[in-house]
Amino acid sequence: MTNEEKLHMIEDVLELDENTLTPEMVLADIEEYDSMSKLSLIVMIDDECHKKLTGEQLREFVTVQDVLDFME
Amino acid sequence: MEAGFLDLQGKKIVVAGACGGMGKALSAMLAQGGAQVIALDLNEEALVQLCQQLNGEGHCYRVCDFGHIEGIEPVIDDIIKQCGPVDGFVHCAGTGEVRPLKMSKYPYMVDVMNVNFFSFVEIVRCLTKRKAFNPGMSIVGVSSIGAFYGAPTKVAYTSSKAAMNAAVKCMAVELGGKGIRVNAVAPGATNTSMRRQYESYAQDTDSYKINAIRQFLGVCEPEDIANSIAFLLSDKARMITGTCLTVDGGKMST
Repeated sequence: MTNEEKLHMIEDVLELDENTLTPEMVLADIEEYDSMSKLSLIVMIDDECHKKLTGEQLREFVTVQDVLDFME
Repeated sequence: MEAGFLDLQGKKIVVAGACGGMGKALSAMLAQGGAQVIALDLNEEALVQLCQQLNGEGHCYRVCDFGHIEGIEPVIDDIIKQCGPVDGFVHCAGTGEVRPLKMSKYPYMVDVMNVNFFSFVEIVRCLTKRKAFNPGMSIVGVSSIGAFYGAPTKVAYTSSKAAMNAAVKCMAVELGGKGIRVNAVAPGATNTSMRRQYESYAQDTDSYKINAIRQFLGVCEPEDIANSIAFLLSDKARMITGTCLTVDGGKMST
């Protein structure tokens, strides 16, 4: 999976238009990154990457790049 | 539990989902009370371990995939053939982690309904056939108080539990003539791995914080739920059928 594909998947979860996210963006600055979107992100990563993301791990993410790295 | 009061001595009880937090506590309690536990679960290693840890003799297990409904009847038929008619059944098998609606696609909904609801109906159907049960049989489904109120991220889980509650009422009426009682127990927040997983994901949400306050007696332990199930399985509950007993630390009263 390419970084671009992963970014699109995150955009889809956050219900953002395509190509609005960049890896260096700070998650806390994204208005749509609320508690429900965080839960959706956990589910998406489980479904698509078969990786279990805990609440604690999620809270440690600072930028979009951190999410991309976890999806590796 | 005082074994003498509930008198489960010699009763054969099928426990579906016996290796989960709730199932383990219940199986241990039933065995302690003198019942013979017939444990069902997906993980054979865990089943072997469970049966070794139970007090008393005669406990046995069968591997059962609650997500594969067509495979359940042969398992139940084999139990009846090998163990004879049973006295009780408890459905503790459950799945349905936190999942927002937008991520709850049809295959996921079907998985949750299969494990939480359709397998319950199928096992009851198979266990209530002629010669499969003893007079006075008691059936208990583990539901959830989530079936009674709205909660975000719980569409699949609470729908499956609401379906169970409705089925329990219909089964109680339909099976009453055979002397079979059917009830549900609806736990509030309970200290199981499913709960801890939910906590890890949802502790920052308003819904989680509000619900934690509403359950003013605190979080239930699996043994609290097992106590109420053991009561409903016993003859002491002989006039109780078609009901859903909430064990929720007071949550539904607020």
